[in-house]
Amino acid sequence: MLPPVVFVGVLLLLPVAFIALYSVGLRTNIPGMPTAFSLSNWSDFVVGGGSAFRSRFIYSMEIALLVSVLATIAAYPLAYFLAFVARRRRYALLLVLLAPFFTSYLLRVIAWQIILNNNGVVNSLLWTLHLRPHGSAISWLIYSNFSVALVLFYTWIPFVSLPIFVVLENMDHRLQEAAADLGASRAVTFWRVTFPLSLPGVIAGFVFVLIPTTGEFITPLLVGGPNNQLFGNSIQAFFGDTPNWNYGSVLAIALIVVVIVLTLVFGRFLQADLRAETRPTR
Amino acid sequence: MKSVQGPMTAQVLDRRRLLRTGAAMLGGAVLLDACGSSGGPAANPGPSKRPPINKEPGTLSILEWGGYEAAGTSAQKNGLEAGKTYTNKFGTSGITYTYITNDDQALEKATSAGPFDLLHPCHENLPDYVNRGLVQPFDTSLLPSFKQLNPYLAKQGQINGKQYMIPWDWGYGSLTYRTDHVAQSDATGWELAWNKKYSGKISLWSGASTNFEIAALKLGFPKMDNLTTDQISAAKDDLLKQKPLNKLYWESEYGQMQPDVKSGTVWIAYSWQDTLVSMKAAGVPVGFLNPSQGRLSWLCGFMLGANTKNYYHAHDYVESFINHNACAQMTNLYYYGTSNASVKPSEIKNQALVKALKLGDPNAIAASDVHLQTWTPNRAAIELAWQEVVAA
Repeated sequence: MLPPVVFVGVLLLLPVAFIALYSVGLRTNIPGMPTAFSLSNWSDFVVGGGSAFRSRFIYSMEIALLVSVLATIAAYPLAYFLAFVARRRRYALLLVLLAPFFTSYLLRVIAWQIILNNNGVVNSLLWTLHLRPHGSAISWLIYSNFSVALVLFYTWIPFVSLPIFVVLENMDHRLQEAAADLGASRAVTFWRVTFPLSLPGVIAGFVFVLIPTTGEFITPLLVGGPNNQLFGNSIQAFFGDTPNWNYGSVLAIALIVVVIVLTLVFGRFLQADLRAETRPTR
Repeated sequence: MKSVQGPMTAQVLDRRRLLRTGAAMLGGAVLLDACGSSGGPAANPGPSKRPPINKEPGTLSILEWGGYEAAGTSAQKNGLEAGKTYTNKFGTSGITYTYITNDDQALEKATSAGPFDLLHPCHENLPDYVNRGLVQPFDTSLLPSFKQLNPYLAKQGQINGKQYMIPWDWGYGSLTYRTDHVAQSDATGWELAWNKKYSGKISLWSGASTNFEIAALKLGFPKMDNLTTDQISAAKDDLLKQKPLNKLYWESEYGQMQPDVKSGTVWIAYSWQDTLVSMKAAGVPVGFLNPSQGRLSWLCGFMLGANTKNYYHAHDYVESFINHNACAQMTNLYYYGTSNASVKPSEIKNQALVKALKLGDPNAIAASDVHLQTWTPNRAAIELAWQEVVAA
């Protein structure tokens, strides 16, 4: 049996290394095109004046952060309900929450097109209820920042709620009882006992959303407008539509670096919290 | 008490080991790359080495536009009957389609995602397909209907006297616009797509070369497919000005553009003439712009994969598309022109459209009032400029 390091090396690091070779011009996807080491694409992306892709990267990080924060905030009550209120029905309700996500991601995004379109479910309902004149659609529902953020938010809520639910469920509930016995109100118990202990799950859920959303491209492609495309769309376009795998590789490597940095940052935070939890009490 | 950990489980992947492994992988990648083959397709077997048709696998992998799938396949939803003679003879289970979203993407897909047995791109990138070794010439003696094809169109598919592309369909690209929302006085030229009055109701195609051609025509550049560096820059700036007016850059004709025009989400969209036909059939009032600068025109056809193992099946498939009946039905369905000269204008139902689109004259795609999309020598620069427009 091969050691794990070989699997990691061959399946993860070797492909990244090949992409790195594209990014510095040592490989090309065009048959017959000569290759030569060059940092011009890197220079253009990192320090080039007015780089559209750098701006797109910053915009994408803003959207990813916004979606991650909102999804985490919205997922917490769901997870709390499943862990503390649903009791015996919690696993069945968890299954209900996760059920839509057994279908294809692409189909779910296309379903949102049908819901949000000018003739879609939302606008049709507004016309039927005479809340808007017939034919007058809310145009910003689709192909906008709103539609991209909404679909990403919907996509990731269950995945955020899972780690929070796991932490809340495994929490020693006697701690809440002890807090109540000592005179703490429910709100104080939540803020001083429950929430701090659930932070590892909250951070894990936040990271679960943040990292994949930074590279997202399907949702903006289907429900986003020209000004709502994310960094992942640029990478996809360079590899799919254009002959310029070299520039696309620069963007891909840049994204990998950012993800590694985020993982290291949040990973340290998670380790610190876990160590605090397992520290023996005197 | 002895440890139960064996040597495998004791190997912790710590940061130092990971970095060492990463460096080793990078070095390995460089070494593999240096020792790798020089690339290029394998030599095609000569005619005497090709297996007969009954020994071929019979599984055709085809790079194709949506809507052009062979009759009888589950993918064909529009009623096209082309391909019926092939699927009647060989069945449909062996055919798989990979879809083209635009011509630039088609070339990249053919390069990186192949090999394909047949490809159906448009002719402007034909030199790139040939130079990259992606395609091989057809044996026209295996295509009984080839002699019926319009000689002018057939010649467009030749390079160095070899028939690399069998032409099939031709037509125009322009702006389809909702006549109930767009003033006729505004619908005079390509500048309609830049009209701020229709901001948020416009949808250009997500295709680099086409959008730069449109910008070039609007700006009055004489050679839309051979732009100088300054002209590319000027066209890029103009497309940046146009960008905020778009509701979206559409990728899918049937999944996005046509439903959006039909629902009124967009009022002005880049399209081909089949959208005019579809919208009219659905009772949607539209016009197909005849810009003062001239429409774009295009010619598409079949190319044979360089390494196909289904040489004779591929020829049979193409024959099932280019025969008289298949071509006549395609024109009556989509109102695209056909390369088969035996199809007479009188066989096409809507004579008004025949006259308006000059469907009886394939040479119309090269007329002085239209601009045939042709090979671009500086495509890479245009692609990068387009990505900068999209990312801005």
